[in-house]
Amino acid sequence: MTPALERARRRRAWSPGDAAGAVVLTGLAALALVVLVAPLLVVVLISFDGREYIGFPPERLSLRWYQALWGHAQLIDAAKVSLRVALDVTLAGVVLGVPAAYALVRGTFPGRTVAGAFLVAPQMMPGLVIGVAVLFFGAYFAFRASHLMLILSLTVFCLPFVIRIAMARLAGLDPALEEASAALGAGRFETFLRVTLPQVAGAVLGAAAVVFIEAFDNVTVALFTASARARPLAVELYYLVQYDSSPLVAAVSAFEILLAFLAVAVASRTIGLERIGR
Amino acid sequence: MSAPAVTWTDAAWVRRIVRGRGIWPAVPALLYVFVMLAVPLAVLFAFGFLTIDRGRVIPGSFTVAHYQRILTDSLSWLLFWRSFRLGVATTLLCLVLGYPVAYLYTLVGPAARKLLLIAVISPLLTSALVRTYAWLVILGGRRGLLNTVLLRLGIVDTPLRILNTDWAVLIGLTQVHLPFMILPLIAALASRDRFLEEASANLGASRLETFLRVVVPLSLPGIAAGTALVFALSYTNFIIPQLLGGGTYSTVAVKVYEQTIVILDWATGAVLAALLLGSCFVLVLLITWTANRAMAWREGTR
Amino acid sequence: MTAPHVRLQGIRKAFGALAVLRDCDLEVEKGEVMTLLGPSGCGKTTLLRTIAGFVVPDAGSVSIGGRDVTLHPPNRRSVGMVFQHYALFPHMTVFGNVAYGLRVRRLGREEIDRRVRAALELVELAALPERWPAQLSGGQQQRVALARVLVLAPEVLLLDEPFGALDAKLRQAMQVDLRQLVRRLGITTVFVTHDQDEALTLSDRIAVMRGGVIEQVGTPLEIYDRPASTYVADFVGLSNLLPGEVRAGRIELGRSVVLPTDRTGRVTVVIRPEHLAVRRDEAGPGWPGTLTFVKHAGATTEYQVDVGGPAPLRVLAMRDPGGDLLEVGDRVRVELRDSAAWVVLGEGARP
Repeated sequence: MTPALERARRRRAWSPGDAAGAVVLTGLAALALVVLVAPLLVVVLISFDGREYIGFPPERLSLRWYQALWGHAQLIDAAKVSLRVALDVTLAGVVLGVPAAYALVRGTFPGRTVAGAFLVAPQMMPGLVIGVAVLFFGAYFAFRASHLMLILSLTVFCLPFVIRIAMARLAGLDPALEEASAALGAGRFETFLRVTLPQVAGAVLGAAAVVFIEAFDNVTVALFTASARARPLAVELYYLVQYDSSPLVAAVSAFEILLAFLAVAVASRTIGLERIGR
Repeated sequence: MSAPAVTWTDAAWVRRIVRGRGIWPAVPALLYVFVMLAVPLAVLFAFGFLTIDRGRVIPGSFTVAHYQRILTDSLSWLLFWRSFRLGVATTLLCLVLGYPVAYLYTLVGPAARKLLLIAVISPLLTSALVRTYAWLVILGGRRGLLNTVLLRLGIVDTPLRILNTDWAVLIGLTQVHLPFMILPLIAALASRDRFLEEASANLGASRLETFLRVVVPLSLPGIAAGTALVFALSYTNFIIPQLLGGGTYSTVAVKVYEQTIVILDWATGAVLAALLLGSCFVLVLLITWTANRAMAWREGTR
Repeated sequence: MTAPHVRLQGIRKAFGALAVLRDCDLEVEKGEVMTLLGPSGCGKTTLLRTIAGFVVPDAGSVSIGGRDVTLHPPNRRSVGMVFQHYALFPHMTVFGNVAYGLRVRRLGREEIDRRVRAALELVELAALPERWPAQLSGGQQQRVALARVLVLAPEVLLLDEPFGALDAKLRQAMQVDLRQLVRRLGITTVFVTHDQDEALTLSDRIAVMRGGVIEQVGTPLEIYDRPASTYVADFVGLSNLLPGEVRAGRIELGRSVVLPTDRTGRVTVVIRPEHLAVRRDEAGPGWPGTLTFVKHAGATTEYQVDVGGPAPLRVLAMRDPGGDLLEVGDRVRVELRDSAAWVVLGEGARP
C-alpha cells in the first residue's frame, strides 16, 4: 500500500474522539513516566555537584561528595550494618519461606487456604504498624530496640514476598518430576533437595534480590526497631536529610539507586519483571 | 475368635497423621508469623488500654481513658481527615496517571515494554527516602529544580512555595506509589481478550468508545487491586508527610511515629496505631466490596 | 449479470516475511452462502478478516455492494462478524450484548428494546435476556453472537469457524439451523472452516484454499465431481490419484484400462472410490492386487487394495448383504465401474 493510501486509510480510521483520547492518553502517560524517573535522575545529577548546597542545575561537576562518603565513618558503619541486616533478613526469609511455599502448594492438610492467607498477611500491614507492634512486643518482655529486633521485624515484613514468588514458581512445576524421583527410590527430603529446589532456585534468587534491597533500604520498620547505637544506612539518611543540605545525601542515594538497578537486573532475569509487585 | 489383624490402612492412617499431610515445612514460618506478628499486634492493641510510663507497662492498669481522650479530641479527627484526604487524592492521582501507562504498555512491542517496566519498577526498588529526598531537591525553595526552570522560562515571577504544603506531600506520595497502581493494572490489561475489542469495532464502536465501554470495565479487578493497595500505603505513610510537609505538618501516621519514638507516649501511639490499622482495614474492605458488586457478572464463572 | 455483492480483487498480504495471502480473487453473489475451506495456515481466516476490515491488504481491493471499502476501518463497514469463540462481552447480559451496536448508534431506549427482542426471537433465545454469557451453553452463546450482529441488519455476515467449539452432535443440529436462518434472511454469508463436511452442508459455493491462494471456487458438486487440482481432489472427499502418461490421446492404466483424454504428456487421473469395485475373479481389466484393509461401516464397505503402486487403491461399495465377504489377504481385482467418472489433471498441483 502506498504511503498516501496508508495516510488516507488512517485518516478514515480515527474519529475526532479517538484522536482527542489518544492525545490525552499519551500526555498523561508521558507525565507519569517523567514523574517516575525524573527524581532518580535529579538525585544522580546532584551527587556530582561541586557546590556545598543543593541547587539545580549542578555547577562545577566534581566527585567530592563521593570522596566525602569514603571518609565518612558514620555512614560507612551504617552501610555495614545495613548490609549485615539485609543478608540476615534475606537468609531468614528464604529459609522460612521456601519450605512454607512448598507446603502450601504440595500439601493436602486442611486449612491450607487459611494458612496461606495468614502467612501472606504481613504484606497487608503497613510497615509502621509492624514496627510499632514489634517494638511494643519487645518492650513488654524487656527487650529494647536492637540489631536482632530489626532483623526479626524486617523478616516478618518481607516473608510474604518470598512465599508468593516461591508458590507461583512451585505451582508451575510439573509434579511428574517429583513423582519420578519418588518412584526411583528417593525420600521426600531428598526429592525436595535434588529435584524441586534446583527448579525453583532461579525464582528464589530473584525474590532474594528484591528482599535484600527492601531490607537494605527500609525506613518505616527500621525507625522503630533499629537500635540507636548501630543505625542502618536508611535511618542514618533519614536524619541526615533533615539537617544536612549538602549533596552528600545525593551521593549515598546514587549508590542506592545503583543497587536498585542491580536488583532489577537480577530479578528480571530470574522471575520476570512483572512479578515484582508488592 | 482371633484378634483382628493390623491392616495396612491403620498404618497408613497413622503415617498420615504424623506426616501431617505435608504441613511440617510450613510450621516454622507459621510459628514465626504468629510470634512476630500476631502476638505483637495483640500487644499493640493491648497497650492502648494500659498505662505506660516511660516505656514501662504498669501492670493491672486497664483503662479506656486513652481511647476516650483521643476519640473526643477534635485534633485527632482532623488528622484522620487529613490522612483520609491524602489517601484518596493520592489514589485518584495514581489512577489517572497510572492507567495510561499500563494501557500504553499493552499497545507497544517487547522492547518498549521492557523499557517501560524498568521505568516503573526501578523507583519501586529505590528507597522511599531517596525518592523523597529527590522531591526535596525538585520542589525546594528558590533553588529547587522546578522553580529554577519556571523562573528561567519566565512562567512565574516569584518562586512557588510548594514544599511544606499539602501539594508537596501529595506529589511525593503519588510518585512513590505510582508503581503499585501500574503493576496490577498491567496485569489486568495485558491479559485482556483482543477479540472483544474487535467485536466492539465490528459492531460500530470507535476506538474511544471501545476503550470506555469494553476495556475499562473489564479491567476493574486491576483497578480495584491497585486502588486498595495505593490507598492503604498512602493512608499509613509517615515518611513523606513528615519530610515534605515540614515540621508542623502532621497526619495520623506521623503522629504515631512522634508519640512512639519522640515523645515516648506509647499508650497514645498504640491507640492511634490501632485506630489507623482498623480504619485502613475497613476502608480497604469497602473498596473491595464495592468492586465486587460492580463485577457481579463474574458470578456465572464460578 | 448483476455485480457481485462482495468482491475481492488481487488481495495480497504478508506478515513480516510470511506471505499469508498471494493474489486472491473472490466474488460472492448477493444472498449466497460462500465457504472458505482449507487447512490451518492456508489464509482463509486472514481473507475473512480482510473482508471485515481487521486486516488491511498490502495490495488489492475489497468492495461490498459495489462500494470500495478497502480503506474503511472495521467499524465503518456494513459487515457483521461472529468470532470463533463468540467474543461475547462478559460484563454485559445477553440483552446488553445484543443491544451494544444499537447503543453505540445512539438509538432510543424503546427502539433498542424492540429490536433486541426481535433479534432474540429470531435465534430462539427470547427467554434469556437477563442471563450473563458465562451462564450460557456453547450453542446459546453462538446464537447470542449471531443476534448481536443480525440486529444491526448488516449487508454481509461473516463467521469464523463458528462450530469449532461445539461438540459433534450439537454441531450438526446447529449447522442445519444456521443454514435455514441465513436462507430465510437472504443475507450474503461467508464462512470459514477446515471441515469439508461442514462446507458441503452449509454452502452454495465453496472456495478451496491452500498456501494463501484460492485453488478452486465452485458448488459442492462441482468441487467434488470436477476438482481443479489434485489438492482439491484430495481435500474434499476421498480420491485415488493415479499417475500416467498420455499416448495418442489415450491413457492406459493398470491392466487394459484405457481412458480417452484431450491432455498430453504426464497426467494424474482422479478416480473417486465409489467409481471402483472389488471383484474376486482376477481375470479382466483393472488392477489386480491383494486386499489390505476392510472397513464395514454399516451401509457401506471400504476396501484398500495393494496393487503395487505408490498408494493402495481405495474402493467404496454399498453393502451387498447376499454377497460373499472378502477378507484381508484375499487376491482380488479392482475394476472400473460402468458408470465411472474420472478427472484427468496435469501432473502436479494445477491443471
